[in-house]
Order: sequence, then C-alpha cells, then structure tokens
Amino acid sequence: MLGIPDPQIWLAYLLCLLSAGLCVAYGAVKWNSHD
Amino acid sequence: MNSALLYVIVALYVAAVAGLGYLAYSRTKSDKDYLIAGGNVHPVLMALAYGSTFISTSAIVGFGGNAGLFGMSLLWLTFANIFVGIFLAFVFFGKKTLVVGRNLDAQTFPEFLGRRYHSAFIQKYAAAIIAIAMPLYAAAVMIGASRFLEQTLRINYNVAVLVFAVFVAAYVMTGGLKGVVYTDALQGTIMFVGMALLLVMTYAKLGGPLAAHQALTGLAAKLPESLAAKGHQGWTSMPAFLSEYWWVVVSTIVMGVGIGVLAQPQLIVRYLTVKSPRELNRAVVVGGIFILMMTGVAFVVGALTNVYFDQTVGKISLMASVDPATGKPNVDRIIPLYINSAMPVWFTYVFMLTLISAAMSTLSGQFHVIGTSISRDLYQPKSGQTARDPLLLNRLGLVAGLVITVWLSFKLPAGIIAVATAIFFGVCAAAFLPAYAAGLYWKRATRAGAIASMLVGSATSLFMLMFTYAKGSASLGVAQALFGKPALFAFPWTVVDPIVIALPLSSVTMVVVSLVTEPVEQGLLNRCFQKKILAPAGAAAE
Repeated sequence: MLGIPDPQIWLAYLLCLLSAGLCVAYGAVKWNSHD
Repeated sequence: MNSALLYVIVALYVAAVAGLGYLAYSRTKSDKDYLIAGGNVHPVLMALAYGSTFISTSAIVGFGGNAGLFGMSLLWLTFANIFVGIFLAFVFFGKKTLVVGRNLDAQTFPEFLGRRYHSAFIQKYAAAIIAIAMPLYAAAVMIGASRFLEQTLRINYNVAVLVFAVFVAAYVMTGGLKGVVYTDALQGTIMFVGMALLLVMTYAKLGGPLAAHQALTGLAAKLPESLAAKGHQGWTSMPAFLSEYWWVVVSTIVMGVGIGVLAQPQLIVRYLTVKSPRELNRAVVVGGIFILMMTGVAFVVGALTNVYFDQTVGKISLMASVDPATGKPNVDRIIPLYINSAMPVWFTYVFMLTLISAAMSTLSGQFHVIGTSISRDLYQPKSGQTARDPLLLNRLGLVAGLVITVWLSFKLPAGIIAVATAIFFGVCAAAFLPAYAAGLYWKRATRAGAIASMLVGSATSLFMLMFTYAKGSASLGVAQALFGKPALFAFPWTVVDPIVIALPLSSVTMVVVSLVTEPVEQGLLNRCFQKKILAPAGAAAE
C-alpha cells in the first residue's frame, strides 16, 4: 500500500492523514459549540 | 549564492518581526496582557502560536535527520503529535484547562497547579523545575539555530547566539505573550509554506509518492550490516521488535516526545490565551493540519533523502552525512545537506527562513515561560498582595532566564544537545502529567498525592538520566565519576527512556497517595469546576 510493504508503516502514514482529518472534522462539527 | 538577495530577505523578515513586536508592545498594558495575551486571542493565531512553539529546529533538522537514519517508522511520532499533541491536547486537556484556569484566575502553569491543589509548594516546585530544566531545552534550540545561522550567513557562532537571544528577548520583553503570539503567527505561516514546498518538490524530484516509496523500500538491500545488527530492517519497515533501534524509536522518540507534549508549560499557557472553549474547537482545525505539515513532511522527506543520496552519490543518508571535521556520521547534517544539494538556490533561502522561524517561535515561548516562572511563581508576593510593578518584575525574570540560556549555549558540550529536548519533554511528563491530568478530571486527587507524584516523577527521571539511560548518563558523566562506567545496567536499560518507568510510577503514586490522604476542600472544587467561563479580568478587547 502506498508503495510501502510493511503494514506497520503504511498504517502510520494513513493514521497521520486520518488524525489530521479528525481534527478538521471535529472543528467543523463543533465550530459554534461552547462545550 | 546571491548574498545581496539573502541579506534583503533576512532584513525584510527582521523588519516584519520587529513591527509585530512593536504592535504587541503598544497593546500590552497590564499584567494579564503580558502573561496570557489578554485572554482573547483569535483561534487561528492561537493554533499557529501553539504549533510553531511546539515545532523547533530540533523537530525539523534533528528528528528529520533521525528519519534519515530510522526511516518512516518515525511517522508514528507524527501520528502521536497530531492525535495526542493536538486532538487530545485541545479537546480533553485544553478546554478543561481553560475553564478551571479561568475559574481559579491562574495565568501560568505552576500557578494553575498550585491553585488547583491549594499549595504554594506545588507552584514553587513546578516553577523551579521549569526555571532549571527549560534553559537546557532553550539552549538546545538556540545552539541548533545559531550553528545554522553560522553556516548560512557566515557569521561567528557566539555573535549568532547573542543576536538571536537579544532579538527574541526584545519582543518578548516588550510585548509579553502578545509579542510571542503575533510573531508566532507570522513565523508559523512561513514554516507552513516552507515545509509544504519541501514535500511537493521532494516527491516531484523522486517521481511521485508511489515511485519514491518503492525506491526507498528497494534500498533495504543496501542496508549496512552495522545497522542491521541493531535491528534496522530498511527505511519503510519498523525496527525488529525489542531491538536497540526499536527501543530508541518507540520509547524515546514516539513515547518521550509524543506523550511529553501534553505537559509542556509553554504550550499549556496557550490554552489560557483564548476567550472560551469554542475558540479551542476552532483552533483544532488549524493545529492538526499545521502539525501534519511540520513533522509529517520532515519525517517523510528525511527518510526519502536516502533515495536522493543513493541516486546521486551512491550512499545512504547516514554515510553521506559524515562530518569532514570528525570523520563520523552526523544525522543533524542530513536535512541541511539535502536542502543545499538537492533543492534550487531560491528554496535554500525559503528553508533558511523556515528554520529561523521555527527556532525563534520556540525560543520566544521558552523565554516567556522561564521569565514568568521566576518572576510570578518563584518570586511571588504573598497571596492578597500584588507586586508594585508586575510588568517590570516579569521583564526582570525574563532577563534572568535569558542570561542562563545564553550562558548554557556557550558552555554546553555538543554531546548533551541532542538529548536536551528529550530530557525536558520526559521530565515534564513524569513530573507534571499525572498531577495535571488528575487536577482536570479527578476530584478525589489530593494535595499530598500531587506533591508525591511530582517528587517521584522528577526523582525517577533524574535517577535514570544520571545512571541508567545511556544517552543521558554518558553526557552527564555522573555514573562514570561515581561507578567508573557510563551506565549502571546492561541492555535494554541503556536504551529504555526514563518516561517508560517514571511516568507510570508517578501516576500510580498520584492515585495511591490521593486515596489515603485528605481530599481537597469542597469549596475549592466547586470553584474549580463551575461551568461558567469568565472573561479574564483586565482583558482589553483586541
């Protein structure tokens, strides 16, 4: 996957992108929330 | 290299930072402006200030160079930086810190801990750890930046240290945390652009992400035997489980820095600069993307430098980084060497600004916290009194921190610099994290539990740094002087980072001692955890 054979590495690569996506999604959902 | 253009770029940058410093100075009227930037900073500015303070030259050059050695396994640290250092930090620590901190009117991290547990000892002990240990971390950033300035602008190292120190101190001293936040926002933007360009240009040079990753995977066939013996299995594989390199990557790099970030005083104080938890919800967006572009790019590009050096000089990055002066490989040389040999001249200027920005934005946060730890937390008038001129006191505290840091930058041996950042992150996590987390979420946490946890965490960290963790003990030389050997125990203890032992020990201490001692009085708890967010007293609208 992604040209990287070791699943421990391509998983890390994907998790970096997904965790940044989580930050964006969380901020978008809670944009006007005061909690 | 076009020297005239280089100096024009540096002059423009200096003028922009000085202008923002002056703007902050004109808006710094009160103690609260100086300490928490008035408490109403825009969420985008707050996120850039947090991210750029978090990421220093040691993250880009130091850990990026380590990715040249260890490969993409360092991406687990990037994941930790984003998920723990931004998402968990802002959502579960930041918002709660803002509510409790505002309810207790705390404006520094030691003051937050001291007021939460109603203990002057906790405030002063936390401030003492910061005042003693943080100059070591600041000196590491300062030395890295000054060495880089020495190479690119051809100026004397000692002059570079003084220029850096005086320039950063000038805008922190006059503008306080507003000076830090405004300049951080400019510096963070420069860093974002520089790293984004670096990623695009590196992938373009190596034929795109897929081709670049496949070429890096193919390099495993050229792995030197000396690296394989330590557990290296190639630059797109994790090191062998429980090998020497596995312990370094997992315990020191991923855990030490990945968890340590939660208890960094210069980052925690950023939570107190915004108006309400809503601003932190918004800051998460910018923070996550910013950190992805910082360490994500540094570690991917650091690993891929192996492909570039293999294609151009037939060597892996570690071998290409041999220092002509010593004849030994130096991972800190990998990223600058790659930039200077693989990238166009105009980009070397952009990258120079990126690194100067990374160093200055981290240094300004460090100077500010060292100064306030000395002036507000260690030398604080008795409760109920206020200092006659708190702004002057804060500025004098900063001068003291500056003098210590500059002195260390001249005196520290090169060997101790590489571990200074990890030491500080590890000590902060072990000493502060259990008391800090329990203070936010566990009402049964007691003053005695917090004190015992901080003492056990800092003592265990210090013991392991001096006697068992080889990187620390060899640099400090205490074990050698007392017992005639660099570390007391054999592998794996020599490569187990102190945080692996010290943090669980201080956490258990926090829980056990709290359960057998007197709870904090109910009135204080009610005040801590009331929902209402108050505007900080003395805040002037921006």
